[in-house]
Amino acid sequence: MKRRLFIKKAAISLATFTGVMVAISYLRQFFPRLAGKKRRIALGDPRQFPVDTYTFMDEHNLFVYRDHEGIKAVTAVCTHLGCILEKSTDGFECPCHGSCYNNDGEVLSGPAPRDLTWYQVSKAADGKIVVDPGKSVQAGDKLLTT
Amino acid sequence: MERESSGKSSMIPDHPEEGDRKERVGKITRNFFLHIHATRVHLYSMKPTYTFGLGIILGFLFLIMVFTGVILMIYYTPSVETAYQSVKDIVYIVPGGRIIRNMHRWASQGMVIVVFMHLLRVFYTGSYLGNRSLNWVIGVVMLILILLSNFSGYLLPWDQLAYWAVTIGSNIAASARELTDLLGITSVIDPGGFLKKLLIGGETVGQPALSRFFTLHVIFLPLSMLVLMGVHFWRIRKDGGLSRPLRYAGDKGGTNKWYAWPVLMWTELAILILVVTGVLLIALLADAPLLEKANPSFPENPAKSPWYFLGIQELVSYSAFAGGLLVPLLYLGFLFSIPYKDREDKYVGEWFSGKKGLKLVLRSAGFALVLVIIQLFIMVRFGGLRDWIPGVSQWFVLLINPATFTALLFFVVAEVTRKKMKSTRMAALVLFTCSFVALVVFTVVGIWFRGPNWEFFWSASQWPIQ
Repeated sequence: MKRRLFIKKAAISLATFTGVMVAISYLRQFFPRLAGKKRRIALGDPRQFPVDTYTFMDEHNLFVYRDHEGIKAVTAVCTHLGCILEKSTDGFECPCHGSCYNNDGEVLSGPAPRDLTWYQVSKAADGKIVVDPGKSVQAGDKLLTT
Repeated sequence: MERESSGKSSMIPDHPEEGDRKERVGKITRNFFLHIHATRVHLYSMKPTYTFGLGIILGFLFLIMVFTGVILMIYYTPSVETAYQSVKDIVYIVPGGRIIRNMHRWASQGMVIVVFMHLLRVFYTGSYLGNRSLNWVIGVVMLILILLSNFSGYLLPWDQLAYWAVTIGSNIAASARELTDLLGITSVIDPGGFLKKLLIGGETVGQPALSRFFTLHVIFLPLSMLVLMGVHFWRIRKDGGLSRPLRYAGDKGGTNKWYAWPVLMWTELAILILVVTGVLLIALLADAPLLEKANPSFPENPAKSPWYFLGIQELVSYSAFAGGLLVPLLYLGFLFSIPYKDREDKYVGEWFSGKKGLKLVLRSAGFALVLVIIQLFIMVRFGGLRDWIPGVSQWFVLLINPATFTALLFFVVAEVTRKKMKSTRMAALVLFTCSFVALVVFTVVGIWFRGPNWEFFWSASQWPIQ
């Protein structure tokens, strides 16, 4: 290989390598590192929730349901485009595009692609209840309080 | 332009004396900014009924946006804690701030209206033909940039409208998940989540989203637009001035051309004055809306995007992925492909490609109108697929709805036209007209006929009281 050709090839390879590395590390900055695990939410004493009622927790966008047997929690975020659901008489309704869910969070009508997610509810050592949005459970599962 | 010609090649050329000629050429060539124009411009380009001055109006509106935007930027703080209050300060405390904000808002909406009118003008006069394909593509890119600028500016006041419009918007970006979920590959490859993260820098709209949108709105988008505007104007010069019919194609030198100075300059100055006056008047008469501060727990009901996105919002109410991503992308793909699919240069510069084309356009418009209204009637009266077959697979909800059905049918009709009339230009006329009419109908329905829970109402006076 002639010296001139070698230098040319080396220069091009080096420039390409540098260019790609710069591009990757630059573009990488547009994607922030997010916390992988979702934080658990402490909801306090289960007895504060009225019985046979869906209580909306506005800071966490959750519905907490309590009956005589136990307590469960479901997301209040519509699976369609992320609006916050309203409780209707026999389910949940989205104000943005009219998706309807039943009390188990299953889609009845409208554009929502998925059923609502129920979150695991557990009891902390001090007796207060904790919701874990990172762990989903079946619609019927509840934390027994009796 | 009282000396309007009667057509053919008998337009009245401008023949000044030699000394006067030098003077008039010099006025343009000696000035950096005026030399954006050629020293002589074809008479056809100056026909008001050919261009309606839409391009230059857009340019002037952009200037208004920059001038008013700079003032707003001085007083605005892009932080979730103080953004809303700073906008309130602009409206209620800064002297003249309310007018500046109104001008900014109304000029931006003016840009959306005028850019679509410009699109219609350029398409229906066949001005993408000849060697103008690249400039058409640049134009469509700028149309997208204008819409993005509007959308990103929408979040900045951090009021209820802003928050929920952008929440919905970012989830439309993420709606590719609807497809990947169905395929069961979201955990492996998640383009929806990728796009959403790029857009708002998190899972929900918050400070990262505001910072990103602010940067987009004040630096990235205006700068990109400025560069593309330069290229757009430069291409016009390179392509031999604005488009004109083939019978004038050979007009070189002095034939049928006027000196840009002074007629064109005065015309443009007049347009500038009219545009500024118009925006100022509207700003004095109507206030830009500002709702309550953003509340991440309670969406407005109905939560409506800015009016020019309500067509898409109507489509996403059938399916987020199909209506918010698939069909709009197909539409953009169609717009980009027009100058490469249709190469029938004989139609350049002719409104609607003559009588035959006009008839076709009117028939397509009527057809699209009826078709879309029938589908809307069915959706409103009998509900969607889920109401007919409870528990139907998400695949069908995604694939069979007014958004996809309309797109498919229009495409078939255009393809049939192409085969039958043996003309790509005629097919383009059909598809363009149909899709534009559909866009208008969906938008009108979204604006005036949708109420709480996105239910159909004949008028807002029938909305239930909450």
